[in-house]
Amino acid sequence: MKHSFRGGIHINEHKNTANCPITPLPPPKTVAIPLSQHIGVPCAPLVAVGDYVRKGQPIGRAEGGLFCPIHSSVSGKVIAIRRRQSMHGQALTDIVIENDGADTWHESVLEAEQPTDSLTPEEIIAATEAAGVCGMGGASFPTHAKIRSALGKVDTLLINCAECEPYITANHRLLLESPHDVLRGTLLLLRALGLSRGCLVVEDNKADAILLLRRLCEEGYPAISVEVVRTKYPQGDERQLIYAITRRQLPPGKLPADIGCVVFNAETAAAIYRAAAWHKPLCERIVTVDGDCIREPKNLLVPVGTPFSALIEACGGLCQTPERLVAGGPMMGFAVWGADEPVTKGTSAVLALSDADTDGYLGEHDCIRCGRCVGVCPMHLLPNYIASYTRIGDYEGAAENGAMSCVECGSCAYICPAGIPIVQFVRAAKTVLRQKRS
Amino acid sequence: MQEQLHSTTPVALPDQLTVAASPHEKSRTHVPHLMRDVLIALMPACLFGIFWFGWQAALLCVVSVTTCVAAEYLYQRLLHRPITVRDGSAAVTGLLLAMNLPYTFPLPMLIVGDLFAILVVKQLFGGLGKNIVNPALAARVFLFSSFPAAMAGFPARPGLGSSYADAVATATPLSLLKEGGVTEFSVTDLFFGTTGGCIGEVSALLLLVGGVYLLCRRVITWHIPASYLGTVAILTLLFPRADGRLESMLLELCAGGLMLGAFFMATDYVTSPVTRGGRLLFGALCGAITVLIRYFGAYPEGVSFAILIGNLLVYYLDKFTRPTPFGKRRAKK
Repeated sequence: MKHSFRGGIHINEHKNTANCPITPLPPPKTVAIPLSQHIGVPCAPLVAVGDYVRKGQPIGRAEGGLFCPIHSSVSGKVIAIRRRQSMHGQALTDIVIENDGADTWHESVLEAEQPTDSLTPEEIIAATEAAGVCGMGGASFPTHAKIRSALGKVDTLLINCAECEPYITANHRLLLESPHDVLRGTLLLLRALGLSRGCLVVEDNKADAILLLRRLCEEGYPAISVEVVRTKYPQGDERQLIYAITRRQLPPGKLPADIGCVVFNAETAAAIYRAAAWHKPLCERIVTVDGDCIREPKNLLVPVGTPFSALIEACGGLCQTPERLVAGGPMMGFAVWGADEPVTKGTSAVLALSDADTDGYLGEHDCIRCGRCVGVCPMHLLPNYIASYTRIGDYEGAAENGAMSCVECGSCAYICPAGIPIVQFVRAAKTVLRQKRS
Repeated sequence: MQEQLHSTTPVALPDQLTVAASPHEKSRTHVPHLMRDVLIALMPACLFGIFWFGWQAALLCVVSVTTCVAAEYLYQRLLHRPITVRDGSAAVTGLLLAMNLPYTFPLPMLIVGDLFAILVVKQLFGGLGKNIVNPALAARVFLFSSFPAAMAGFPARPGLGSSYADAVATATPLSLLKEGGVTEFSVTDLFFGTTGGCIGEVSALLLLVGGVYLLCRRVITWHIPASYLGTVAILTLLFPRADGRLESMLLELCAGGLMLGAFFMATDYVTSPVTRGGRLLFGALCGAITVLIRYFGAYPEGVSFAILIGNLLVYYLDKFTRPTPFGKRRAKK
């Protein structure tokens, strides 16, 4: 039986790039590496304008608190350290590096693979931290902190290979092309957490990956199993994933570790392995470039800091005028201001969508109370009431109907036949409610 | 756009990109599509009504739909409000009202009913989505209490060549059941619709077909029709009015406006609950009130009143059946 959850939507998957192998992006001329790519304290620069840096060299770290160090993704000269506004509207510092194209690695990166069988849990966590690994599914939570917070509290390790967002096939290709990195990373996580068994969770639309992983697990990774979940959005949400596999419900405001679970993204697991075996920092990642305006959709291996425009160019440019550029998936990704936006550790996709795809049908109707949003809400809330209460400024009414529990997956706004931007209403309500309560 | 797709010259980014909240993809099913599906689902029963009762029935349907759409358009035009007739909800109201009337119903009275439905019940409360009770049902009850004589008839099919004035009004199966449980109507006639009655109510079979269409297209969920019909079925099976429990149950299910009500009136989005539990309770409530009115009320049929009473309780049904948010269930006391 396939695992699943109640609610959610069946959505056009648009997995056009499922058969597109991961190809390295042609070296970008310059990269602009943001000093804050993670949840927590922004880093301070370790280099000055004019310095020569090599690929994998640490260029940013914070003095304390929760952070991931930042590494250069190319070799070359630092030509600027500039402040700008991020796509989330916050002030942000970028280190701009001119690529010399030599791709020389920093001396801290090993030339040969080091065996990882003898690493202690503390060594694994330290290597993860030094490599600046953070969650690569989109939330960008520092991975070393996640492992530490789970130590001694969890009995279940899940590797999230669901990839439920439309378009994105980065994890799918990773599982097909570098399955051993993911599986070895999973073994390292098991050792770090002191667990004996872990499990890869894959949606059933990736049959080839499931077959391959099952065979590999039988042959060489007895501690790892492959669990299949039904293809449904938002199956890749941590809460729904944990529920589908363990039937445990994560209470609002709690961490997965509080109910004995910890979830890592597949690419994060691979990054942990590379950090431990090669001391290779996380400075490049797989990005799916797709959307109806992209001429040749592709999966690209991209240095962090590369502007979106370079990715679009590598995919043959645009074939029609896009209405918006999205960093991440179409359901939870962010629409960006322009194509200068750099790829970060959390950018799983760059989508150029025309208005045929985003569909300009917005707010033409009042809510007709069809209840579709209620049926699809994976958090079992009443989105129509939240939106209606927020519209008239009754935020307590919105809270009563669960505004604060919303995970903003967008299922309600997707399905709404009246085109009501429900997620936007929820965010507005959350902002006001947080201010009121603090 | 086709030219753009095939050209090889690169397309530049526009000067301005849209920056909006996620999601960036939306379902292509909009309100007009849902209303169109309801109209399609009503067609089998409606066309059969026209075939069975003749052109007068068709005239009633056309006049009713036209009046409703025109009334909504003029109201919004005069009040400088957005024109929403294209969403199709006014047409649905018009067709439903016509299908709820005997084909002998006078046109002027029908127009009064249409105006009442659209202007008083729907627009004065704020238009589609804001009305508290179902406009077509409210108008039907309004006509029923204003023009009881015109409504009370149960016209049989006009004989070939006879004018509509010759139509014979007979007692309904439900009123016969009420009087003493003797009825000459067969379940088969009521099921297939080869009997007298309101235009759109006669054929239980074709209403079922429409209901199944709505279910398959996911326009409605099963909760309200299932609990409505289920409640009526159980109550009439336990307390039969005619000879034979099963036959009595089938008779009650196929007679009157029950099928039309359960699939097309009680499931009206605006005036029914949004939660699963609320929908089940709503259906059960409508079913119970329908049977109570049929058995003990002053009128032989109670579907309209039952649904209208249910409509008034929708907010409370939603409130009391609000689902527990994911993760909050296992709170220990």
